[in-house]
Amino acid sequence: MKTGRPSNCGTISRRAALKTAGGAIAAAVAAPRWASGQTAKRGGTLRVSNGGDPPDFDVHQSATYLTQFVGAPCYSTLLRADPNDYNKLVADLAEKWDISADGKTVTFHLHGGVVFHDGTPLTAEDVIYSLDRIRKPPRGIVSPRKGLLGNIASIEPGGPLTVVIRLTEPQPDFLFMVSNPYNVIVPKKVCEPLDAQGQGMKRQIVGTGPFRLTQSIDGQIYELTRFDGYFGDKAYLDKIQFFPIKGEVERGAALQGKRIDASFFFPNEAVLATLRKVPGITELRRPTPTFVNLIPNVQRKPFDDIRVREALSLAVDREAFIKTVGPLAGAFYHSIGLMPPGSPYSLSVEQIKQFGGYDTLPGLGGNVAANRQRAIALLEQAGVPKDFKIVIITRGDLPAFRDSAINVAGQLKTVGLDATVDVRDTGSFYTMETKGDFQLVAHSVAMGGSVPDQIFGEGYTSYGGRNYGNWKDDALDNMFREQSREADPQKRTELIKKFQLEFLKTYYQVNLAWVGYGAAHLSTVKGWVALPDIYANMQMDKVWLDA
Amino acid sequence: MFSFILQRLVIGIVTLFGVAVIVFVIMRVIPGDAAVMLSGAGAGVVSEEELAQVRSKMGLDRPLVVQFGDWAGDVATLDLGTSLRTGNPVIKDIGRRFPYTAQIVVMATLIAVCLGIPAGVLSARFAGTWIDRVLQALSIGGLAAPSFWVGLILILGLVALFQWSAPLLWEPFWVSPAKSLAQLFWPALAVGLRQLALIARMTRSIMLEVLGEDYIRTARAKGLSEWDVVVRHGLSNGLLPVVTLIGFEFSALFGGLIITEAVFSVPGLGQYVVASILNRDYPAAQGIVLVLAGIVVLGNLTVDLIYGWLDPRTRMRGAQA
Repeated sequence: MKTGRPSNCGTISRRAALKTAGGAIAAAVAAPRWASGQTAKRGGTLRVSNGGDPPDFDVHQSATYLTQFVGAPCYSTLLRADPNDYNKLVADLAEKWDISADGKTVTFHLHGGVVFHDGTPLTAEDVIYSLDRIRKPPRGIVSPRKGLLGNIASIEPGGPLTVVIRLTEPQPDFLFMVSNPYNVIVPKKVCEPLDAQGQGMKRQIVGTGPFRLTQSIDGQIYELTRFDGYFGDKAYLDKIQFFPIKGEVERGAALQGKRIDASFFFPNEAVLATLRKVPGITELRRPTPTFVNLIPNVQRKPFDDIRVREALSLAVDREAFIKTVGPLAGAFYHSIGLMPPGSPYSLSVEQIKQFGGYDTLPGLGGNVAANRQRAIALLEQAGVPKDFKIVIITRGDLPAFRDSAINVAGQLKTVGLDATVDVRDTGSFYTMETKGDFQLVAHSVAMGGSVPDQIFGEGYTSYGGRNYGNWKDDALDNMFREQSREADPQKRTELIKKFQLEFLKTYYQVNLAWVGYGAAHLSTVKGWVALPDIYANMQMDKVWLDA
Repeated sequence: MFSFILQRLVIGIVTLFGVAVIVFVIMRVIPGDAAVMLSGAGAGVVSEEELAQVRSKMGLDRPLVVQFGDWAGDVATLDLGTSLRTGNPVIKDIGRRFPYTAQIVVMATLIAVCLGIPAGVLSARFAGTWIDRVLQALSIGGLAAPSFWVGLILILGLVALFQWSAPLLWEPFWVSPAKSLAQLFWPALAVGLRQLALIARMTRSIMLEVLGEDYIRTARAKGLSEWDVVVRHGLSNGLLPVVTLIGFEFSALFGGLIITEAVFSVPGLGQYVVASILNRDYPAAQGIVLVLAGIVVLGNLTVDLIYGWLDPRTRMRGAQA
């Protein structure tokens, strides 16, 4: 049997998305390719290990892969990433979509006959409620990604199965923002009363995805069963079982012992290297839109002084950081600028080398000793005494945080800063960070997409959800908006690069590395295409077992 | 005897109240905010207004005395509240996890007792010989090796040698006794090795003392068999401190399986404690700590009763006090 999607699905590339902002262009209609050429078999149970229990099931309120991995096969988004080309979107709940000539109105035409897992038919009202819930969450509901939809002026029904979204300004990246894997569509009838209680969808999953949640036992198992009412091609698997196994070594052992079929989260290289040698196991590591940055709290002295922030950047030998932390946390990658590795919006080597310390990125031949001498001079100019005490807070359970902080603390000592690491448990760490009760933090940030509006909007604006450093910079925010609304691809590319250059000048964040997560599965698992984004293509509807 | 038990029960209740106050206060004063954790911690900066809404919804904006009063009142009716994380009644969460932890504790204790006491007796009986030295070395090794390390070595060794890894779905004992015993054997062994070493060393030390007593010499002079001398006369008189040790270790194990459960992914109480505290799940953390304290109190009471039964002098001293 050939795998396939309904022929009325459309695809849109990032470049096409840029073009659509300027004119009324209906989405291109072409069938996407799904791991073609393989004969899929029906049936079987895919056993997956997750890194722990999902804190809850409310995908809109969450930001962890623990929730997303269990939720993704159960939910649908309006559009989804093309597994054959991460730079393209294909139809999901929306079978087609139009963008007005002025780029300010986007109309989604929904598939007919779509039902939620409880049997309720999907209507435009469900889409409107879901998107409104993300951008303007009801009281008591927290929406970490509301900024993604901040450009929406209004959402109205254009018919029972038509949703009309009006934007305040044209936004070429809008389709990617609305299709973020976390922006799933929930049933208004179920969700609205729960939201009124301040509870939300934390305890249940009711989606339109290819699988439905049929069993959930904290600490033991989360079982999904194929949803035969799914509007697309029925999933091949009968069931997916997620087992919470915290340790990477234990997850690796479970895979070797064939207790599980797959695990999609292996930061540590040693574990992946062990699995690499085991016959019958397929493993891979790919860069993901997850960066590790050193973030100073600019509300605290002396980090309000740009010279001190630049000195921090100059002190860090990034190549050494990547060599040390890479094998521990998967922080193997680097980019030239703020965009992920390989981005078409990357800066040039000459451009990045003008910023303090960035010439120590792998292969750029920077002089670490000279950088550190300059850092010492800058600290002196800023009046920072020798052996000034700096505490880097970090959480102890994730190597990307803990080991990054330890490495950076060691490097800061080379410029006369008495840096120590304060390892906190998760609850204490996030409370201190949220309340700005810290000097420095080495933070790993996982994005649910890699378009500029996602990366900059969430990571590099004053109002972005990841502004842990508490800076305020209207000029940068305006530049972000300017690039976001620019319809002409060439002009936009220039603006995106200009934004990066201006941001890097501020040293609000010191970019260290990008993380690539490993995944491994038995060779009997077929049809799963790993995209450079841990959240994308996790619906599992095309996965099958060659058992 | 009744007044002895009553006295112990009253002390137990006072202890539990003290634990309740301490755990309630500690959960509030340690750094970390339940509202932050419930607001999708890690997803980005959450505004103070959003946090206030969450606190209000959870009742965490009320005075601490009121919160404690409400909780203590509920606890008095055996209602430990609802977990902020799982949404289930805490008592239900604990009830589902308790059998796994209890089974590991019982199995570990059985392994430790069944092997530890004979090892200690043998070691004492053949003190100074190669048997004693080998057993001593093993017991020191057992004490030195942390149970999580033993667990990891077991897991990796079993995978490497037999392609065997820990199961993912744990069968409760009453559903499939044989399977359940087989599944939990390795975690129990990892934990039990330390207890085994402790018991063996304690037994050896006591037995060395007992075997030098006059009544043992008398027993030997009467021509009793070595088994009767060592076991009937020696061990039965030297068992009291060992029983105390077993009792204390047994109850302490309930709260001491955190890492072993994590290594083997056993859905027991230890993992629940960690998840509750890390997520600042106040009702769950308070509830589980109280239950564990209750187990320790009950364990100590049981040891006291066994002690009184084995040694009437203790019972009489307790009644006179």
